[in-house]
Amino acid sequence: MRQWLLGALLLWLAPVWADTAPRVAALSWEATEHLLMLEVTPLTVADAGDYRTWVVRPTLPAGVPSAGSRLEPNLELLAELQPELIVIPPLLEDIRPLLERIAPVQVYQGFSQQHDNLQAQREAFLDLARALGRVALAEQRLQAMEAELARWRERLQAHYGGHLPAVTVIRLSSPTAAFINGPNSMPQHALDLLGLQPAMELAPSPWGITQVPITALGRIDRGVVLHIEPFAQEAQLFASPLWQAMPFVREQRFAGMPSTWTYGGVFSLQYLAEAMAQALLKLPSESGKAPRQPLE
Amino acid sequence: MAAVSAPSRHVLTLLALLPLALLHLWLAADLDPFELWAMLGAAEQSFERLQLQLSALPRLSMALLVGAALGLSGSLLQQITQNRLVSPMTIGASSGAWLGLVLATLLVPAFAASHGQWAALGGALLAVGLVLLIAGRSGIGGLPLVLGGMAMNLLLGALAAGLVLINNQYTQGLFVWGAGDLAQIDWHWVQWLWPKLLLAVPLLILAPRPLSLLQLGGDAAQARGLALWPVMLVLFLAALWLCAVSITAVGLIGFIGLLTPNLAKMLGARTARDELSYSALLGALLLLATDALALLANQLSGQLVPSGAAAALIGAPVLLWLARRHLAAEDPHGLRLPAGAERFGWRGALWLGLLAGLALVLALGLARGVEGWRLQWPSALVWSLRWPRVLTAASAGAGLAIAGLLLQRLLRNPLASPDILGLSAGATLAVMLALTWFGGALLGAVAPLAAFIGCLSVLALLMLLGRRHQYSPALMALLGISLGALLNAALQFVLAKGSSDSFALLGWLAGSTYRATPAQALWLTLGVLLFGALALLFQRALTLIGIGDGVAASRGLDVPRLRLALLVLVALLCALVTSLLGPVAFLGLLAPHIAVMLGARRVAPQLLLAAALGALLMLLADWAGRTLIFPLQIPVGIVASVLCGGYFVFLLIRGRLA
Repeated sequence: MRQWLLGALLLWLAPVWADTAPRVAALSWEATEHLLMLEVTPLTVADAGDYRTWVVRPTLPAGVPSAGSRLEPNLELLAELQPELIVIPPLLEDIRPLLERIAPVQVYQGFSQQHDNLQAQREAFLDLARALGRVALAEQRLQAMEAELARWRERLQAHYGGHLPAVTVIRLSSPTAAFINGPNSMPQHALDLLGLQPAMELAPSPWGITQVPITALGRIDRGVVLHIEPFAQEAQLFASPLWQAMPFVREQRFAGMPSTWTYGGVFSLQYLAEAMAQALLKLPSESGKAPRQPLE
Repeated sequence: MAAVSAPSRHVLTLLALLPLALLHLWLAADLDPFELWAMLGAAEQSFERLQLQLSALPRLSMALLVGAALGLSGSLLQQITQNRLVSPMTIGASSGAWLGLVLATLLVPAFAASHGQWAALGGALLAVGLVLLIAGRSGIGGLPLVLGGMAMNLLLGALAAGLVLINNQYTQGLFVWGAGDLAQIDWHWVQWLWPKLLLAVPLLILAPRPLSLLQLGGDAAQARGLALWPVMLVLFLAALWLCAVSITAVGLIGFIGLLTPNLAKMLGARTARDELSYSALLGALLLLATDALALLANQLSGQLVPSGAAAALIGAPVLLWLARRHLAAEDPHGLRLPAGAERFGWRGALWLGLLAGLALVLALGLARGVEGWRLQWPSALVWSLRWPRVLTAASAGAGLAIAGLLLQRLLRNPLASPDILGLSAGATLAVMLALTWFGGALLGAVAPLAAFIGCLSVLALLMLLGRRHQYSPALMALLGISLGALLNAALQFVLAKGSSDSFALLGWLAGSTYRATPAQALWLTLGVLLFGALALLFQRALTLIGIGDGVAASRGLDVPRLRLALLVLVALLCALVTSLLGPVAFLGLLAPHIAVMLGARRVAPQLLLAAALGALLMLLADWAGRTLIFPLQIPVGIVASVLCGGYFVFLLIRGRLA
């Protein structure tokens, strides 16, 4: 009942907001990204400083204050800022009653293995747009992104002559361990949209990442491996003979891609696809397709 | 087994090592023995062959080297201190190393990436030095050393957790090291480590003589011409060196150093030389077996399972089992209260009242906002957000102080506190399990219940294990240590998975009033008042048990039953506080101490004053946590742990140096 009332309230408020700048507090980074894409500057953002360091795009204006941490946003600060809407991740669902004393609350679906993370982000974006009365702008943004993705897809097709390589995206965590972005991770969704296959089959996990020993990467015997930069011990690892012997390194099916946030909202796909495509375009067009030379 | 002679025991162990090494290679290189054989003969350079040469074989060597070093180090430490509970882990070396590395990573990332080992080494040495200073000459052989080590572990752990929590994006890479992993990509670390372990050779030759003299007791050893202190110091440093370089190379691996010497003794190692050498051998065997299990888990689950986690999973229960067999029941001396004022007069009460008033004004009225500092009565909305936190903090402080006082009187140990019992660790472990099952979204709702169940399970375990030993202090401490280490390993493992859920957990672990609802705050206050009143009813029993069990029994008290009842009271208090707030270390230890130092030396006044002080400290800690790094907030548990822990260490060291 309360949810329904809130929805009605939001619908009623929507037309008013479409004209004036809405006062929205974003307590998750996906929501921040989506607000910015809807041309709404958030009133305050949780961990705003870290957003500027790690997510980077879309750019958060310098004047937007931090609302405290994403784990424990500062309630008293929120109360003082008097937002008209607070967007929260599911992690904060339990303090929703407290937040509702300050302003109406909208919950965002987060990352989970129960649903398609991309679809969830897309719906969250459209929900937010409806609440703010900016559906037309939202549709326009999504179409622009799809057009952009299509352009990258064509450039990749042209570069690889129609036979695209399979791709696995990793993030190195120490010289002996690496995270693999598996099914339902945003990098994997970006690969799908670029028309690329995964080079390594993995079981699904809530956040789409699995940590494996570095030697497990040796089993990736086809396709390209992209690693998300930066990695502090890069020099040490890349010089080691074991790394040099990894099939994808020996056969030059390996490239770095610029630092990109991998748990973002729907538009992080575009940035991910861009970074991946740029890395892939730098590789020679035959990489990832040549059958692996027999080892034994 | 005890009947087997020393040489044949060594040979048998060596023989067991061989198949284990083969199994380890099989798992690490993903090759069965036949493929392995074929691989060794093959001339071709394939990835599998390189994996065998550069990953599996170095890992095997590493397991053997580190296992032997930790076993030797543990045996040496135990023989010097004549204390079966001592190991690098229990005297603070591991947590010191961990904090050192976290600090280095945050302050000088480039240096940490290339020379992190020196930060770890420095941290370990500093932490152990402090613990030794705390325990002092008389405490080395007994529980004080181990309790001091636990205190240090808690303090440094809180500091490191706070740093990681505030800088969560920057510290990800540390977690694999923190969880202790033997994985290798070349011979670099083996080559780094082995020359540094050569120290073991002169140790094995020279150490047995002074150690066997030490077995006769300090005085007897000196009478036979042993320069006691210099020799002990040198041996101690050697043991620390062995452990610190191992930690540096592979990360935190607990329990091996603690279990191995105890097992060696059980299997019949009697002389100092035999125990040293057999501990080294057995340590290698144990770590190899543990690491093989980690590898197996790795293959079955398809994701990284750090060796340290496996070691803790096996080590904690084995340690408890050992403890059951080998503990002396009674700690002979009565409780010695710290020195201080003789009585708590009206002047003290006046000061306390003033301070409490000031703390309340601070906690309720002084806050930071968009425009900076402000002193004003909060608006209705802000008041409704603020008072549950303030009330929760104050009640929790009072509750922990009462629990700490009860424990110190019951166990006759001024260093006892709720964290020592392992109750907080049990609660935290339960929350961690809940997190892996239900996911981060439900954490806030499930955590209190899980924590409560965790506390009560530990209590049940305590009763089960403790009945035979009349709930002896050593057993309690041991349970706390085992659970604490198990928790630490599990925590590092969860953190190493690197998802955002990990940080939600870390946030809860930090002990925060953030999520307290008005109803919870009121229930907590009611509960603490009720249990506090109950504790006051037991004041005569507490006074008498504090003097000694014999004294208490001679006055007609049913000591075992009373102690059990009071322990249940402590557990309920801890469960109540921990389930709402998460663990808060040191407060329960310190508040009763300060109360005594202010002159409240009898049970009833000490209890009331300690409760008031606990509430006051938590009020201040909560206020500091809310305002210090505004708009970010430091969880009250971390502020309180670090403040009280720091003060506590200061007190102990001052007392020692005076």
